[in-house]
Amino acid sequence: MDQKHIRNFSIIAHIDHGKSTIADRLIEITGTMQKRDMEAQVLDNMELERERGITIKAQTVRLNYKSRDGEMYQLNLIDTPGHVDFNYEVSRSLAACEGALLVVDAAQGVEAQTLANVYLALDHDLTILPVINKIDLPSADPDRVKKEIEDGIGLDASDAILTSAKTGEGIDEILEKIVEEIPAPEGDENSPLQALIFDSYFDPYKGAVARIRLMSGKIEKGDRLKMMATGKIFEVTELGCFSPNLMPLDELSTGEVGYVCGSLKDVRDIRVGDTITSEKNPASEPLPGYRGVTSMVYCGLYPVDSADYDNLKEALEKLQLNDAALKFEPETSAALGFGFRCGFLGLLHMDVIQERLEREYNLKLITTAPSVIYRVNKTDGEILMIDNPAKLPKTTEIASIAEPYVKATVIVPKDYVGSVMEVSQDKRGEYQSMDYLDTNRVMITYQIPLSEIIYDYFDRLKSTTRGYASLDYELSDYREADLVKLDILLNGDVVDALSSIVHKDRAVPRGRQLALKLKRIIPQQMFDIPVQAAVGGRIIAREDVKARRKDVLAKCYGGDVSRKKKLLEKQKEGKKRMKAVGSVDLPQEAFMAILSDD
Amino acid sequence: MFGRYTSAICREIELREIPSEKIRSIYFGGGTPSILPIEMIEKIFNSIPNKKSSPEITIEANPGTVDKKYLRDLRRIGFNRISFGVQSFNDRILKSIGRIHTSRDALDSIDSARLAGFKNINIDLIYALPNQTIEDLQNDLDIIAALDIQHVSIYGLQIEEGTRFSQMKLDLPSDEITESMYDLIVSELPRLGFHRYEISNYAKDGFESRQNLGYWSDIPYIGFGSAAHSYLNDDRIENFSNVEEYIDAIESGKIFYRAEDPNRNRNDLISEFCFLGLRKTSGIDRSQFKNKFGDPIEKYFQREIDRLISKNLLEVDEKSIRLTPLGMKFGNLAFEEFLL
Repeated sequence: MDQKHIRNFSIIAHIDHGKSTIADRLIEITGTMQKRDMEAQVLDNMELERERGITIKAQTVRLNYKSRDGEMYQLNLIDTPGHVDFNYEVSRSLAACEGALLVVDAAQGVEAQTLANVYLALDHDLTILPVINKIDLPSADPDRVKKEIEDGIGLDASDAILTSAKTGEGIDEILEKIVEEIPAPEGDENSPLQALIFDSYFDPYKGAVARIRLMSGKIEKGDRLKMMATGKIFEVTELGCFSPNLMPLDELSTGEVGYVCGSLKDVRDIRVGDTITSEKNPASEPLPGYRGVTSMVYCGLYPVDSADYDNLKEALEKLQLNDAALKFEPETSAALGFGFRCGFLGLLHMDVIQERLEREYNLKLITTAPSVIYRVNKTDGEILMIDNPAKLPKTTEIASIAEPYVKATVIVPKDYVGSVMEVSQDKRGEYQSMDYLDTNRVMITYQIPLSEIIYDYFDRLKSTTRGYASLDYELSDYREADLVKLDILLNGDVVDALSSIVHKDRAVPRGRQLALKLKRIIPQQMFDIPVQAAVGGRIIAREDVKARRKDVLAKCYGGDVSRKKKLLEKQKEGKKRMKAVGSVDLPQEAFMAILSDD
Repeated sequence: MFGRYTSAICREIELREIPSEKIRSIYFGGGTPSILPIEMIEKIFNSIPNKKSSPEITIEANPGTVDKKYLRDLRRIGFNRISFGVQSFNDRILKSIGRIHTSRDALDSIDSARLAGFKNINIDLIYALPNQTIEDLQNDLDIIAALDIQHVSIYGLQIEEGTRFSQMKLDLPSDEITESMYDLIVSELPRLGFHRYEISNYAKDGFESRQNLGYWSDIPYIGFGSAAHSYLNDDRIENFSNVEEYIDAIESGKIFYRAEDPNRNRNDLISEFCFLGLRKTSGIDRSQFKNKFGDPIEKYFQREIDRLISKNLLEVDEKSIRLTPLGMKFGNLAFEEFLL
């Protein structure tokens, strides 16, 4: 296909604003897939993605579209992940496009997530086509939403396309606008190859597969190619495009989007953001914007049954095949035994991995509370990056501790500005700016410690704004703070997996709260369990879990057997997620208790 | 109604396939069979094949509902054991749990039974009842000491969801007091000559209930009548619990029972075998387990057994696997480990 007839675009939208449904309609109307072959939301492949209505992996599809001018066009849709955890992946996907559809719900309006991605798209000089979706809703207010787009983002929304992905209205117009307004890709087919990797995944038959966008040059089967960041060289055994299933082709040329695979077994060889070039005629420079994976949060993953350690290791290795952003290394906890310290792009990423381990690999896990990475300056001049609170050096060895801050962007109706400020202030936030998106909606930015975001910032934000607040954040810098370790002792012994790092001013109330909360969570056992909170070795709170006095089915005769067995099974089921720490059985909830105030 | 029901039971006894072996025990109970006129009791009893081979033939009765003549007739028919649902010897407590009999009725019934020739008498007692104190329980135990009875079944009150009790606001003893009551029973009854042979069952030497032990020792049983349960060929079934439905089904020759658990499998069998066996102070008989399931019990539960031993809930030797006294108190913790 000659370059003039190629259009590469992505869709930017907040969760639930209809991105996947619009994508489905585009696929359907261009005849890329027969309706009977389509499951709702074709592009969200993973069961989890469908359930949560989110996209985790970037998906791609090539649409062949005959436009009203009578010409055939190749439209490549790159569907981006829709969550702040995957911001870097989103930025690479956007870098592979010339344009983007900005999909906004006609009733809900612009949200923080949308805004963050629009700015990303504008950074990449993308042509943005506003699309107002769900106009069939009784509460739809396209004019208000247009005004929000204009006032809040500064885009001209007078030509915004009004659609309903549900009824199909306006979908034709989207396709026409893509052809008319989004520029064809530039770049020279005769220059050395530069292909941007915007995603990778593992295929059991083909090995590691790279999703790419060719910026210049071309690729043919049998070519020997080179990864510019890692230096890895491989021979192309297959290449092609997505229909959305893999469709092998003979070549890919400048401007096209597709996949390559070859003698690559490990997705870690295919780094998102890296540039593929030719071995014998390499490009002089890689494409801009590559960066390594940065884990934002860490947590410990431990098998409930220590015999499952090897299974957990195997499962993590398998997941890593498909997810280069997942990091893990073996870790030992005095309380939990052998497990892994795992690094994630964010909380959702963590949640998804944990859920997949349990669901797809049938593992029962204890997850410790997520922690950010603290930078510790020791008195001897050494600098430590601490991803596990239990590993914080002794107070006497610490010169200072710095913690990661993020720039948090919150959008709310103006009536809730006070609430947002209150919560943010309470979370050690530092006010930065406030702008009106329109007469009603306000965008507020704060500098906030990432640890507070992980704690319960968003939950509190949502409850205090009755669900109206939307949040986005990005890492800004490390700042020194007066931080201390809060330990929890059960039966007089410190449980390393329950330690956390907190601001000194909050250590005492938080310790008290935590002890109380644990008392509620820890089930009664055969003996009294003192629960203590300590800061720097000083006990600041104590609660007791009173012993269970007895626990036995008094009566069990001939007619009772099946019913009593059911009772026992129910009781046992409730204990499945419990981990024996010393002589105390702790439920999963206990390890997450650190994470909120309630 | 009684007549139709009695006939239905007799008909069921004819219909069911009863193995021709000696019968280990016969039990008329579950509810209050003694409300039936004596002729009907006799009719049912006589319809049991091979009945005279059984060394233990029990009937349940409520205190105050049976007179001397009725008791003598029971003896004449062949009953040699009687079980009274006494619950408590405290009239205030009996009233608060809605019982119509008094402690006087209970004492009279026990005495009449003895005079009628019953040499094997059980009473059912409950503790941790609303408004009950340790002293009230001690008083019950003092009365037992003075009675000529051979067997005591005693249960802590457990209020199950969905029952009448669960809706009421009751002044129940605290967990601490309930525990003291349990400790008192466990130490006191053996002192009075009743040794504990199961979590809630105590008997004088030689008077352990063969019927009860059967339930916990994997002995098959056949239950007749509405809502009766059977355990035969490793299957557990339950007769229709609605009396009308039961009678109609029997009279019209239709199916009158259902499986207790339609999804039952071999693992359930193993689990039941274990948690029932552990109820006995003699525990699970290793050779019985191996004979039935083909492998030593450790093949299924090595880790569980080790864990329970380390918690001092279980003890083992070459013959059996038993709960310790602490294990008896926290039986559920041990039972659930044996669920597969």
